[in-house]
Amino acid sequence: MASHDLAIEAIDLRKRYGSTEAVAGISLGVHPGEVFGILGTNGAGKTTTVEMIAGLRRPDAGQVRVLGLDPATDRGKVRQVLGVQLQSSALHGSLTVSELVDLYASLYARPVPTGELIEQVGLTSQVTTRFEKLSGGQQQRLSIALALVGRPRVVILDELTTGLDPRARREMWRTIENLRSSGATVLLVSHAMEEVEALCDRVALFVAGQVAALDTPSGLTDRAGASSLDEAFVALTGQEPEEVL
Amino acid sequence: MTTEIQAQRPGLRAWRTLVVCEAKMVARDTSGLIVPLGLPLLILLMSASSAASQVVQNGHTALEVFVLPLALTIVIAMIAIVNMPSFLAYYRRTGILRRLAVTPASPALVLVAQTVVSIVQALLGLTLAVAVAVVGFGAGPPEDLGVAVGVFALASLAMYGIGMMVAALAPTPNSAVAIGLVAFFAVGALGGLFGGMATLPDPLASIGTTLPFGGAVQGLGAAWVGASVEASSLIGMTVTAVVGFAVAAVVFRWE
Ligand SMILES: Nc1ncnc2c1ncn2[C@@H]1O[C@H](COP(=O)(O)OP(=O)(O)O)[C@@H](O)[C@H]1O
Ligand SMILES: [Mg+2]
Repeated sequence: MASHDLAIEAIDLRKRYGSTEAVAGISLGVHPGEVFGILGTNGAGKTTTVEMIAGLRRPDAGQVRVLGLDPATDRGKVRQVLGVQLQSSALHGSLTVSELVDLYASLYARPVPTGELIEQVGLTSQVTTRFEKLSGGQQQRLSIALALVGRPRVVILDELTTGLDPRARREMWRTIENLRSSGATVLLVSHAMEEVEALCDRVALFVAGQVAALDTPSGLTDRAGASSLDEAFVALTGQEPEEVL
Repeated sequence: MTTEIQAQRPGLRAWRTLVVCEAKMVARDTSGLIVPLGLPLLILLMSASSAASQVVQNGHTALEVFVLPLALTIVIAMIAIVNMPSFLAYYRRTGILRRLAVTPASPALVLVAQTVVSIVQALLGLTLAVAVAVVGFGAGPPEDLGVAVGVFALASLAMYGIGMMVAALAPTPNSAVAIGLVAFFAVGALGGLFGGMATLPDPLASIGTTLPFGGAVQGLGAAWVGASVEASSLIGMTVTAVVGFAVAAVVFRWE
């Protein structure tokens, strides 16, 4: 039975593509106001899991609740309170930054003012630049802005800072801290250890579509008798963390 | 904690914003205008000159009674069933729809915005073609302009109804064109696209006038000579429009 005290709950989620079992029985619960990290190597099933939570892919088995709602059947309600940054998607290439923010803002009842949001992600001098002309990092920042435009109570960010330079990355971390202080719940997919360590209250380590360990960053480190999350990751998952920029 | 969450559909502001955005994209990538603007003209020029001098019915030429109604119908059908869905399929292929799928945007919003912008382009192209027919080939106006406009509007809605079903499902731009062409030739063949309804066996011909293509050609021809439009044509087009839109909104694929 789903618990109503959790902002996000996944119970024994499974998803198979042909012979690949991408998600092989994942359960996790995220508390309201928590910043929860999912850490794992490429192909561990992170994207499949969060896209099932977002209602974008249908689980073969298992249950999802977002603020107590099923994203598949309560689509209309969940879409109002959930903001998502997808790892793979696209935006209308010939629209400018401000046009895109306005467009996505128009879909929500109480959007963040366009200028304010654009400033928050550091794109003020690109407002009139078309999406297709932005650098990879700028596109990423716009994509994060669009996840936040509807003042979501639950935010899913898949590969938050992959592709960002160190400065932009720190700015994104500040954005997450702001989200946390506003009371939003954040589910953050990453394969950057220091990011997860800096931001997350708790972390789930994903290996081959399953949760290998779930704890606070320091809890994981202690449990592995390690001196860093990097070391703990190796000890608890038996895998080398990937180098990411 | 769920009681206060309201499912709120995007309001008028969203519809307007998406239509304006679609229009801006067309204006910025004008290659998309070649089909809606060029096709009507091309079809008219290919068929108009021979028909312009042939008087068939109380002073009206074959150009007015057959060619122009057929050309108008071909054009709106091509743009609605083949051209419009390919843009939505492109959005689906690139992941633009996938991103919209995690917002409160509805299939109806996406389909209608696309259709509105497509209709505006088609009207520009058709106005151009009719102007050429009038100025270049001496075509006269329909006896009953109001009926002609009404039939054309209803025919457009029916064609876009079919187009929306193609757009809702086709996974890639190429498959959209393929499915669209099959649908276009299916309604077209039964509606007099190849040599008039008279050449079809009786039962097929009556199905043909009920389907939107044949219904549109017959209805426009009737408006030109001032005859009355068959009720079965009007009903057929209305049903196609309503069913097409409803089915499209239900089976819509975001990816
Ligand atoms: N749409 C898909 N079709 C087939 N296989 C897929 C699809 N999406 C993901 N996979 C496979 O499922 C596994 C997990 O992928 P994914 O969830 O993207 O992992 P991660 O985000 O952790 O890198 C991988 O082996 C991947 O190749
Ligand atoms: Mg991924």
